[in-house]
Amino acid sequence: MRAAPTLAEGFPDLSQMQIAREIHWRRWLAAAAIIVVLVAIGRAFAAGQIEWSYVSRFLTAKVILQGIVNTMVMAVLAMALGIVLGVVVAIMRLSPNPVLKSVAAGYTWLFRGTPLILQLLLWFNLALVFPTIGIPGLWTARAVDVMTPFLAALLGLGINQGAYTSEVMRAGMLSVDAGQYEAAQAIGMGRLRALRRIILPQAMRVVIPPLGNEFIGMVKATSLASVIQYPEVLHNAENIYYANSRVIELLIVAGCWYLLVVSILTPLQMLLERRFARGTARINR
Amino acid sequence: MTRLSLFLGVAAFAATASAQAAELPAEIKQAGTLKLTVNSTYAPMEYRDPATSELVGLDIDLANELARRLSVKIVWSETPFAELIPSLQTKRADFIISGISDRASRRETADFIDYLTTGPQFFVLNEHEAKAAADLCGKKVGTTRSTSFPVEIEKWSKQNCEAAGKPAIQYVPGENSIDVRNQLKQGRIDAAVQGSETLPYAQGQEPGKYRVVGEPFAIGYQGIMFRKDDAVLREVVTEHLAAMIADGSYKKILDKFGLGANAVARPMMNAAPQ
Repeated sequence: MRAAPTLAEGFPDLSQMQIAREIHWRRWLAAAAIIVVLVAIGRAFAAGQIEWSYVSRFLTAKVILQGIVNTMVMAVLAMALGIVLGVVVAIMRLSPNPVLKSVAAGYTWLFRGTPLILQLLLWFNLALVFPTIGIPGLWTARAVDVMTPFLAALLGLGINQGAYTSEVMRAGMLSVDAGQYEAAQAIGMGRLRALRRIILPQAMRVVIPPLGNEFIGMVKATSLASVIQYPEVLHNAENIYYANSRVIELLIVAGCWYLLVVSILTPLQMLLERRFARGTARINR
Repeated sequence: MTRLSLFLGVAAFAATASAQAAELPAEIKQAGTLKLTVNSTYAPMEYRDPATSELVGLDIDLANELARRLSVKIVWSETPFAELIPSLQTKRADFIISGISDRASRRETADFIDYLTTGPQFFVLNEHEAKAAADLCGKKVGTTRSTSFPVEIEKWSKQNCEAAGKPAIQYVPGENSIDVRNQLKQGRIDAAVQGSETLPYAQGQEPGKYRVVGEPFAIGYQGIMFRKDDAVLREVVTEHLAAMIADGSYKKILDKFGLGANAVARPMMNAAPQ
């Protein structure tokens, strides 16, 4: 057994010394400065011309709660429509068939190329072009009875979302290694079957973070439907301040609800990501 | 009331002795500019000329004439109707002349100098069967949701429909007067409401399309809106407005837009009956 190594002559023995904690004085300074700024902003708002009693009174008012429910209903349905369209269009875009390919490219071009608010106004005012709609001989209706603010908002938001989602889906499908397609082909799977069984499940892992992003964007984009009289939370908050002129107070109320919803959605996205990341090494990235 | 009569005295005095005009607030005088904000979706009060895209209208002409007399330039800005009052409060605008009705609910935040008679007016598409306003009970009636009209429709419906045992008017919100007329054309609503002063223009744009139903169902005034603490500016503008009424230049502007009948005899403060 060898003796423990000893220090050479002239070197001090450091082994007994304590390691001093480094004082991160720059961090402390930065934190202090940020707190000062936050307190100043907080004080300014507390002392500013805001009647906080209006904020607390309207935060849980019935029309506001109904508004946030309508916001969420619209966001979920429009996103669902967007995802369905997105998947179909992405598959068409990656198909070898030139007709499907160009239809998909045209769709993305049209609906990604015009502003969302313009599309909403078009859907809402569609009856100016087509007073009645229907299937000839079977069923007809006045366009305005069909194209309610709800349906106009759903179509406007959902179809626009589909154009964006198709690109997210296409990216997800492209991220799956080409060898996976070939292997699926080699064991005799058709194109659609390979997509369903092999490619899309693997693509899901990649598309969930951007889809979560898009969904959070959708929650806020529903506020544009206020201009076509869909009674979502901003529309209802506006109606209140049109009557009582408490503009900032009601905008704060609506803002609180959007923040609350997004705060709930963020951890949900994490859970979803974890589920689809099963079987891959980078589980918590 | 004493304030009003005092004010009327001042106005009458000013009309006869405009040589002794009150001074503009120093800030405006120094800058040489008046900051005014309008919602330009309300022809013929204020709108963008479709051909030239210039800001035109009765309010614009009145304001320009005022500015000429005050020897200041106007810097115009635009905003949605609902943001007019906040624009005044935040001093983005020195005063507001933008087809806004003098309403008691708005007097909490501003003083009005009334300069034009107005009133909410029902109208329908020409082929609609409604003959009198009472025919609209139980029907869908739309108007701009950021105005005072939704409240006035409800009030009228209570007094004239519900009190008579008829079903109430169903109010349908719209974004601005153009949107409301589009809803009317599409059949989303049976009738619409706009200020009576804006209907001749709309009818001129689309001849034979619209028909008014009944008379304006409330009497009111359009007012120039001032901040409560801005009495100096308010009185200077009132003096000049009184002078414009006295020398006929006011009437000339109204006639240009076919609204001579909506003239007032003198500017009045917070005078619209509620």
